[in-house]
Order: sequence, then C-alpha cells, then structure tokens
Amino acid sequence: MHEAALAQQVWREALAAAARHQHPRLVGLDLVVGTWSGADPESLEFALGLLVADSEWPQARIRIRREPLALLCRRCGRRFEPPEADLTCPACQAADVETIQGTDLRLESIEVE
Amino acid sequence: MAKRVRLERRIVAESDRLARRLRARFRKAGLLVLNLMSSPGAGKTTLLEETVRRMAGEVRMAAIEGDLATDHDARRIRAAGIPCRQINTGGGCHLSAHQVTEALDHLDLDALDMLFIENVGNLVCPAGFDLGEDRRVVVSSTPEGDDKPAKYPVAFLRADCVVLNKIDLVEATGFSIRAFRRYVRGVKPALPVLELSCRTGEGFSAWIEWLRRARAEVG
Repeated sequence: MHEAALAQQVWREALAAAARHQHPRLVGLDLVVGTWSGADPESLEFALGLLVADSEWPQARIRIRREPLALLCRRCGRRFEPPEADLTCPACQAADVETIQGTDLRLESIEVE
Repeated sequence: MAKRVRLERRIVAESDRLARRLRARFRKAGLLVLNLMSSPGAGKTTLLEETVRRMAGEVRMAAIEGDLATDHDARRIRAAGIPCRQINTGGGCHLSAHQVTEALDHLDLDALDMLFIENVGNLVCPAGFDLGEDRRVVVSSTPEGDDKPAKYPVAFLRADCVVLNKIDLVEATGFSIRAFRRYVRGVKPALPVLELSCRTGEGFSAWIEWLRRARAEVG
C-alpha cells in the first residue's frame, strides 16, 4: 500500500546516482525486494513503471529480484530459508536464529550509458 | 555501451535518517517512546486509556494518534487526561518519521516520561517504518484469530512485546492461546506475550510492570 512512495524514493535515488556518476543517460535499474521487506514487488514494479514512463528516460528497464528470507541458527550455525513463518532451525530445532537476508528493499545497481 | 553502477542502497534511507534524528531527540529528553501497532480494532486506544488511568500519578505521558481520518482517538485520549496530537494520514497506511517529527512541535518532550505513538491500524506497513521509538508493541486480540503471528510475521519479528487483548473473549471466539504462543515462538522465541483484558482488567498489571521495566532500561 505504500509502494508508490517507495517507488518514488527508488527513482529519486536512481536519478541521483546517475547524476553523481556523470552519466546522464539512465537505461536500467536493479531492485532487490526481500520477501519480508514489507513491500510488494508487483505493486512496486507497477508504480515504478508509471514513474519511468513519465520521466526523461522512458526506456529505462526495471529489473526486480525477490530475495528470500534467510536465517542463521545461532546454536548449530546452519543457514536456512524457512518455509512460511516457522523460523526454527530445521537441523537442530533451535528457535534462536538471526535474520541474515530478506528484510531489505535495496537499489542494487543502475545501468547508465 | 551501458555501464553498471553498483549501489546496494537500502530504500527507506530518507525516513531512516529522520527516525535516527527522532531517536536522538527522544534520548536527549530522556523519555520512553513506544510504537503501538495492530490491526484495526485490536484495542490500542483502549489499552492506552487504561494505561493512562493506572499510571497517571506515576509518570507524565502523552500520545500521538495515527488514523486515516477523524480525531476520535485523540479525543478519547485527551478525555483520559493526557496531551495528545492526532495525525490524519488521509490514505496513508502507516505513520512516518516525518509526520511524527511534525507532531512533536505540539508536545513538550521535556515535560514527559513516556510517549505513546499509536500507529495506523494495519499489521503490514507500520512494521516497515522506524519512528525513532525505543520499544515496539504489537497488540493482538482474540477475535482476530490465533494465527496472526504466522500470517503477519514481520510485525511480530520486529516487536519487543506482544499484548494479547480481549482474553475475556477466548471461549466465545474459539481462540487458542497455546496455538498463538506457538506461532509467536516460531517467529521470535524471546518475544514476551502479555495476556490481558482491557475490559475486565485481568492481566493488566503485567503490562504496567513491563512498561516500568522498559522505562528503567531506557532512562
């Protein structure tokens, strides 16, 4: 529901980064959406699509990669991607885990020409 | 020739910066700030009213209320006897650090020991936005069903405390406290769950104790 605001932030960051690198032409951006980031990839893609189409770089390509939640068991050290909302370690059943991936929304890179 | 520029930039950056500034301000003023999150109707405002009633002589409190529309909640909280600022988000699904910053213009932080920020009723979006708070509290209630922690894990993962409200309705709603606790453990094992009823007062003292401890830890 807040994806429009996030999309605006992504687009602002992408434009600013392009300007910083003295490459005026932005041709693509790569976004990583963690499954537990609180953002919906499809809504983001839709909102970004509207912004890009309306911008000075309407041909810019948007690539969105979903990043699954990954956890590290503090007891046995196993790294795992949990199914649904059961975050206990599949190896040793410990419930003492650290989140190592999947909660971020990141602008991974941009492509400039 | 296209050239790729790696950025690895987290996107809530701007609001995170504002939240950090808020946190520094709260620390300086030495007060405990709580971000209350729940689905609509779980009982955040009622929890707050009862908390105000019980702690009125002990700590100086204020609240910020977030809703899409109306000032109903702010009026209830003011009627309970503490200063309160209503934020209407229009269509906004969560409170932002920017809105909280503006609301602070109307509150005297130095005259407070505790500030409650009651977020927009929504278990999804508020979880993604830092408001500079010291503690995050998720309020659940028995009519919502016992599997909310599994369905909305992010809110629970980032919480410091879960208040399970309306336990006087356990039988009427077929709610399983055991299942609820199991789901909470699955998401965050160390997360405390406080069972209470704002209506009957059962279990409420554990919440007050939790607040006192949190205040001691922060202050």
